[in-house]
Amino acid sequence: MIRTWTKAAILGLVLSTAAVSYAEAQGVLTIGRREDGTTFDPIATAQNVDFWVFSNVFDVLVRVDKAGKELVPGIAESWEVSADGLTYTFKLRDAKFSDGSAVTSEDIAYSLTRIRDSELSLWSDSYKIIADMQTPDSKTLVITLSGPSAPFLSTLAMPGASIVSKAAMEAMGEAAFAEMPVGSGAFMVVEWRRGDRVILTRNPNYWEADKVSLDGVEWISVPDDNTRMLAVQAGELDAAIYVPFSRVAELKTDPNLTVVSDASTREDHLLLNHEHAPLDNVKVREAIDFAIDKQAIIEAVTFNLGEVANSYVPKGALYHSDDNGARGFDPEKAKALLAEANVGPISLNYVIDAGDQTGEQIAILIQQQLANVGIPVNLQKVDPSQTWDMLVNGDFDMGVNYWTNDILDPDQKTTFVVGHDVNLNYMTRYQNDTVKDLVAAARLEMDPVKREAMYAEIQKLAKADAHWIDLYYSPFISVTRKGVEDFGQNPLGRFFLEDTRKTY
Amino acid sequence: MLVAGLGILAAFVALALLAPWAAPYDPIAQDGAARLLPPSLLHPFGTDNFGRDVLSRVIWGARIDLQIAVIGVVFPFLIGTVVGTLAGFFGGWIDAVFMRVIDVVLAFPFLVLMLAIIAILGPGLSSFYIAMALVGWVSYARLIRAQILVLKTQDFAVAAASLGFSRARIMFRHLLPNALAGSLVFVMSDAVLVLLNGAAISYLGLGVQPPIAEWGVMVAEAQGFMTQAWWITLFPGLAIVVLAFGFSLTGDALADLMGVRE
Repeated sequence: MIRTWTKAAILGLVLSTAAVSYAEAQGVLTIGRREDGTTFDPIATAQNVDFWVFSNVFDVLVRVDKAGKELVPGIAESWEVSADGLTYTFKLRDAKFSDGSAVTSEDIAYSLTRIRDSELSLWSDSYKIIADMQTPDSKTLVITLSGPSAPFLSTLAMPGASIVSKAAMEAMGEAAFAEMPVGSGAFMVVEWRRGDRVILTRNPNYWEADKVSLDGVEWISVPDDNTRMLAVQAGELDAAIYVPFSRVAELKTDPNLTVVSDASTREDHLLLNHEHAPLDNVKVREAIDFAIDKQAIIEAVTFNLGEVANSYVPKGALYHSDDNGARGFDPEKAKALLAEANVGPISLNYVIDAGDQTGEQIAILIQQQLANVGIPVNLQKVDPSQTWDMLVNGDFDMGVNYWTNDILDPDQKTTFVVGHDVNLNYMTRYQNDTVKDLVAAARLEMDPVKREAMYAEIQKLAKADAHWIDLYYSPFISVTRKGVEDFGQNPLGRFFLEDTRKTY
Repeated sequence: MLVAGLGILAAFVALALLAPWAAPYDPIAQDGAARLLPPSLLHPFGTDNFGRDVLSRVIWGARIDLQIAVIGVVFPFLIGTVVGTLAGFFGGWIDAVFMRVIDVVLAFPFLVLMLAIIAILGPGLSSFYIAMALVGWVSYARLIRAQILVLKTQDFAVAAASLGFSRARIMFRHLLPNALAGSLVFVMSDAVLVLLNGAAISYLGLGVQPPIAEWGVMVAEAQGFMTQAWWITLFPGLAIVVLAFGFSLTGDALADLMGVRE
């Protein structure tokens, strides 16, 4: 009873403040999310808030399919790779930008040159391998690489490599374009009210325009999880993403709602700083892995919606290996390993973002689990604006982070996490030259079978070193009103709004 | 009123002191099998998302929150009293300097200034106390200064001066005791403010660090569960309200008793 009353009271509050502000147009899908985007310049961001909107505003040369398993044609209708793996020839389809001008090979060469060379680009390193681009005609693009690269085609599907209109970018200037872009995706930006919402309308010039059912899409930021869920329950929003795990069971019982759970590449993991003794001792890291009850975290934090993670390569992703020697939950073994390591009393500093509820819940569980094997953990709440710098500077012992893949190929994450990248193996300072060499070799190996074996080996070696502690995989969960159909995202996060229908 | 107010305060102090015996469970012990249980005989206030007993956490939380209210008031009171006495007694440039400093502190919104100081010092209770001391003293200083300004022209003060007593003796033996009544009453209402501030700062994640039980933290941690487990937020919230009420009642009663009107 009381539960119903609190709900009614909160609902009333939300209704009174929010009812006026959400547009209610037929055929326009309103989607609530936690925060507003930061830019529409594809090369200048690495954030999901931006990428997840780009996918429906811009096109990419090749796309990742709905299942997140393979590359399928995007703007490129077909492509050929030369025998030496150095030359890629793309044939483009007849597509138009939202302003009606044709998408030409010139535009694509321009977009890829920007992501490789522009000072604004956060992704230069991944595209430095492009040595030359030729445009023999407006529908043909020839890319020459400086060396063979197995993941190259996958990198072309990343939202950062979205195709922008060269003419529009040059006419408007980069800053103005980042506010009001011209792309060739299913929808186009009509208005961006910073901090509030992005308003998209159907792009009549989209190459598959006849397939698109929605008149438009509004991405509305509603930061508070409870408020966002209530807005969908009250019918003020058609859909909301970032459904808290704790709310799923309850929302499923609401006859007006559909809870959508999509396989994702999200993996939550515990970073360990290998430079801080005694975490430089592999036995101590192993002991921590044995001491952490991942299943308990999954029950308490994800309400059983997650799954124990055994490897940094997400389950279901390309070259994920089940057989990498993952450790079970075994506190006795953890104690034995600690005794064997003989490093004296341990006390660890665990950095968490202030205000991150999930992160805090994980931290409180891990704190207790490590206390059970005799490792006291001091939780240090830090303002989120400072945590990244602390991790980069090595000013931490441990901390939880998550990763969602941006590309299909495992090379990107592997390089960042164990392949000795510029960020010191994702801030862990993990050092293993055998692994490093294997990562470099796997990047060049063009035979998928051999490559798979190499990645299985990398996952085994990294796990043996306990480079970090894999915690859990979890799905993307969103909620929609009944009558919203085919709403969802692929494991990399791309929404297929061109297929979504609203039947009320 | 005084009895009621002091009764509430005494009850909380007793609860805090007797926490190890009064709390039925360990406040930080997690029980995976007892998550999000509604209030029952076993768990009168229910359990939270880690299976921790909410009643035990509220009882242990009394220790932290009382400590916040007391320490958060004592330092501003001491600093403010000394500054106010000096400024009021000496006047002139000393007064001018202190008053300008007070104006500067008052020019910033209270909570924003506190947050800024804590952000610089790093989250934690000690940072909170330092921030409280740096920001909270101005109210006491102004109260005391106003009293001293009035008192120092009165006959007994002039008489003390003519008897050749030292200035320190006049300030602290003659003037200050007479000036204190107002700020002692203010201490009580300030304790309410400090308590709420402590809870607010902890709610924002900058005060008490987990897994320690503190009422503001408990409300914050349970926010995501409000629609399905109201008991985790309700009881610590009530505890804050009742303790604050206790301070207010006591303050009002003291004001009547000492003939001070705020």
